[in-house]
Amino acid sequence: MSLAAWVRRARTPAPAPVKREYAFFEPADLFDLEIKDDPEASPVLCCTGDPAGAAAFNALWLKRIATSGRYAAAVSVRGQGGTPAAEGGLEARAHDLVQAAVTVPRQAVLIGHKEGAAWAALAAGRYPTAGLVLVSPRQVPKQPPRPVGAPPVLLVVAESETQSKEAQAVADAYGTAPLTFAGSPDDVFKGAGAEGLLDAILSWLAAGKKD
Amino acid sequence: MQEYSSQAAYDRGEAVCVIGAGASGLIAVKNLRENGFEVDCYERDTVLGGLWNPQNQHSPLYPNTHLVTSRSQTEIPDFPMPDDWPDYPSAAQMLAYLTSYAKHFGLSEHIWYGSEISHVEPVDGSRFEVVVKPAAGNAARRLRYAAVIIATGHHWSPNLPSYPGLDQFRGSVLHSSQLKDPSRLRGKHVLVVGGGNSGADIACEAAVNAASCVHSVRRGSWHLPKYLGGEPSDYALARLASRPKFLRRFLTDRLLKGPAALAARMGVAAEGRPLEEEPVRNGRYMEHVGDGSIQRRGEVARFDGFDVAFADGTEMRPDLVVLATGYRPKFTSVDPKLLGIEGDSPYPKLYARMFSPHKETLAVAGLVEPGVGVLPIVHWQTHAIAHWLLVRKSDPERAANFRVQVRSEAEQDTARPAGSSPRHQLAVDAEQYLASLGRIIDTLEQEPAK
Repeated sequence: MSLAAWVRRARTPAPAPVKREYAFFEPADLFDLEIKDDPEASPVLCCTGDPAGAAAFNALWLKRIATSGRYAAAVSVRGQGGTPAAEGGLEARAHDLVQAAVTVPRQAVLIGHKEGAAWAALAAGRYPTAGLVLVSPRQVPKQPPRPVGAPPVLLVVAESETQSKEAQAVADAYGTAPLTFAGSPDDVFKGAGAEGLLDAILSWLAAGKKD
Repeated sequence: MQEYSSQAAYDRGEAVCVIGAGASGLIAVKNLRENGFEVDCYERDTVLGGLWNPQNQHSPLYPNTHLVTSRSQTEIPDFPMPDDWPDYPSAAQMLAYLTSYAKHFGLSEHIWYGSEISHVEPVDGSRFEVVVKPAAGNAARRLRYAAVIIATGHHWSPNLPSYPGLDQFRGSVLHSSQLKDPSRLRGKHVLVVGGGNSGADIACEAAVNAASCVHSVRRGSWHLPKYLGGEPSDYALARLASRPKFLRRFLTDRLLKGPAALAARMGVAAEGRPLEEEPVRNGRYMEHVGDGSIQRRGEVARFDGFDVAFADGTEMRPDLVVLATGYRPKFTSVDPKLLGIEGDSPYPKLYARMFSPHKETLAVAGLVEPGVGVLPIVHWQTHAIAHWLLVRKSDPERAANFRVQVRSEAEQDTARPAGSSPRHQLAVDAEQYLASLGRIIDTLEQEPAK
């Protein structure tokens, strides 16, 4: 985040605060002796453009992430799931995501799905994430802010989207080659395709830790 | 050299030493870590949070301390405060905030508590030898660091005025930092000396708790309520900075018309243009002056037995005198010359208010009073310092150019007329200082360090 961007933000009215809905899962919540909380691994915070919000991640994602020893959380931004709607566009939703990120016990990895990827990209410009994962991004600004603290960035798109202009624009903006997953971009929350996608993300996160 | 456990200093290589684990120290550690530095932070107390932690033995907190700048102008830029907090969080909330910052970024593992730095000595060119004296145990350790960042703050060494007869005064005298418990004011006739933020806040506490409260101020100062036009006043004023220059003065005057008229009515005369120097930010003070629970007097002339005489000839007999006379910056471990401290003035002369004029790898974080929240300023300062250390390592030519630029920034800064009180030596114009910091950061970030 540049100083100029901060000055601008500090002098514009802050979005109206809302009571946000969270869903979270700690490794201890699995009641499995085999699974140890890994204090070195960054926690994960997910968000999605799906109107269900945080609840969408309950089916598979949070448990699966917790199985890898990470604290897993998801947040519903304004207007999603159990979070009341409030004024504000992209910026206000990014604000919700940053506010959620600072409540996570340690420096978190942000995972954004669809429109959530745009919010995560903006949030990463204001908060030093441990990693930024964009899944099938939608409506990401043409020039997303440079992520604070230069975190590793992973872009994952569905096979059907690999040629789409949107995915390529995001890939160019971050200078990364997209990873592809089988299945449709809307169908990432359960099923075989979702498990493959999650495994890819988790192994990327685990590899990043070793570097 | 008997006091050292071993003659050879332990070399920490490229690691950076940060002195102090208060707000500035924590931000410095986090920003250096983010830029890939190894950091050792030494804190002489056993707790983090510096001035915001009441368990710190040098804590300046007085009863009911709250921020005087609003949340949005005070939070660390990349770690916002929870948005359901009040506009002006309390000292306890600030401590909770700093604690969660340290926990979130895993800073505690880099902090050595109970370790006072007794001496910092420049050795072979740009490196520093640091002597660490643990509070418990006896053996001092010597370590060598590539750079030292001093983040000891300037709110721990009380500035005690000298009045004739003060040492023979028969009532009790406390500095504002010793007044931990508001019950000490209850039922007393209280005299508060000092017209800064702490003086006004303590006078307001005394107005509701004490039997009577007299507030002695030496000179007028601008008083700003905590809200202006339905917005936190620092935010409302900062927003005007984005307006064109010819409108700005007009709009500022319009915004300050009400508070200025009230101050004039209460006999709180202020000199100079509004906001030329750090105003007193307190919304309740004027109301207490208005309902007579705070009586304003001029300067104290002398203390005499149980009595206090004022310069205007009046006298009073206080049970308790609170000296809210502020703090002096104090550097215990570093040679004052390295920070440009000369003569009797305790105030250092630094390049861009952070770089030592003599040593390239010595910097001070948080030694400014910008009139807005200090935390974001410290964030950008330490951001600049971390980038400077990177550039210095990788590209000596650019580093030399940068030194020249910083020196010219420093000259522009001193060209500004200094505040009329010694207290305002650390004051900077937030707008100008941020612009100068922005130029410094832009130069340092221009091309990525190779």
